[in-house]
Amino acid sequence: MSDKAMTKEKVNMDPKYIIRLTVTLLVTCVVVAGLLGLVNKVTEPNIAAINQAKTEQAMKAVVADPENSTFSEALGLTEEMTAAATNAGGTLTEAYEVQLGGESVGYAFKVVAGGSQGNIEMMVGVDAVGAVTGVSVVDHSETAGIGTRVTDNENGVLDQFKGKSAADGTLAVGTNVDAITGATVSSRGVTAGVNAALAVAGVMG
Amino acid sequence: MNLKKQFIEGLLTQNPVLVQVLGMCSTMAITTSFFNGLGMGVAVLVILTLSNVIISAIRKIIPDKIRIAMFIVVIAGFVTMVDLLIQAFVPALSSSLGVFIPLIVVNCIILGRAESFSYKNGIAASFFDGIFQGIGYTVVLMAMCIIREFLGAGTFGAGLLGPDAKGIQILPSQFPAGMMTMPVGGFLVLGVLIAAMQWALNKSKNKEESK
Repeated sequence: MSDKAMTKEKVNMDPKYIIRLTVTLLVTCVVVAGLLGLVNKVTEPNIAAINQAKTEQAMKAVVADPENSTFSEALGLTEEMTAAATNAGGTLTEAYEVQLGGESVGYAFKVVAGGSQGNIEMMVGVDAVGAVTGVSVVDHSETAGIGTRVTDNENGVLDQFKGKSAADGTLAVGTNVDAITGATVSSRGVTAGVNAALAVAGVMG
Repeated sequence: MNLKKQFIEGLLTQNPVLVQVLGMCSTMAITTSFFNGLGMGVAVLVILTLSNVIISAIRKIIPDKIRIAMFIVVIAGFVTMVDLLIQAFVPALSSSLGVFIPLIVVNCIILGRAESFSYKNGIAASFFDGIFQGIGYTVVLMAMCIIREFLGAGTFGAGLLGPDAKGIQILPSQFPAGMMTMPVGGFLVLGVLIAAMQWALNKSKNKEESK
């Protein structure tokens, strides 16, 4: 028994063995990393294009004139903007200027707010006078068949935000927003996102 | 090498999900629509086969002490490659499976087969083991998807004709129980399937013994 333990110890401490372990693992990692770099090089432009198209599609869904609108590059987010969104219950992640024939006609904000199962990521369009032009959910993990009724815009639950502005006061489910029965939390999440977008638009003037 | 035996093992007697009870997390989480089940199954099948082949090929130079680390490096490499490829060429699948593609790294079916099969067997046998175990996994996923989708939403084949395509409505929409598409439905369906599998295996075993 003690004999066996001793030999085992010896094997463990053998520098040649340790070097072999290290080198094998290192070489494998380097080879794998190299291959990954190669695959990444092939797929990167495609993935970037797909994400770009997704963002553009989401923005088109929330502006008044989807045919002719163009969008600026992502705007820099100031501390004031993010703070305004946070105070209204959401998180601002991206902001774009909506242009019609080169003239600025409003903004599209990507905001994140808490839903019932996780975050709801949505795009909110706001026009030059601070009224919502559209809301569209980009990504969410709401319960299928319940929360998804909100994110899928059932009964126009997302369309009801159109035309609302900071003048309507803080939007709240039950007072000036209608929720979907059984999906109150998801409805509240979307409402918080719209409030955040309006707050940011207010700060930007 | 016995292909027929390997095939039956992968599909039935050693089915990765129903008998070895591996890969539960993904099985439960993504089996809500036909498209998800098929996509996840095929992704795992491809990664499992590739990692089985590579691990079998380098099994003689892997020092025993660091084999698990080596397995994980190989598996993680393939998973990341497949993840990137899916993102670039099948964006619909990547948006519906989301984080579960990268999570294949820790899917115990792949590590389990590396340790119990491809580390001890030749390249060809490991290749077929990957294919058959992958098929076994995919078949169970699809069965769960079909059952959960039918009971939970009353449809069949949602997403088959495109990411947003609704399935064919079989049950009138007031009957389905929405909870079947939630985690509790996953546990229920999986439990019933495992029980049925054990019953069938026991039955055929008794039959053989009585002969």
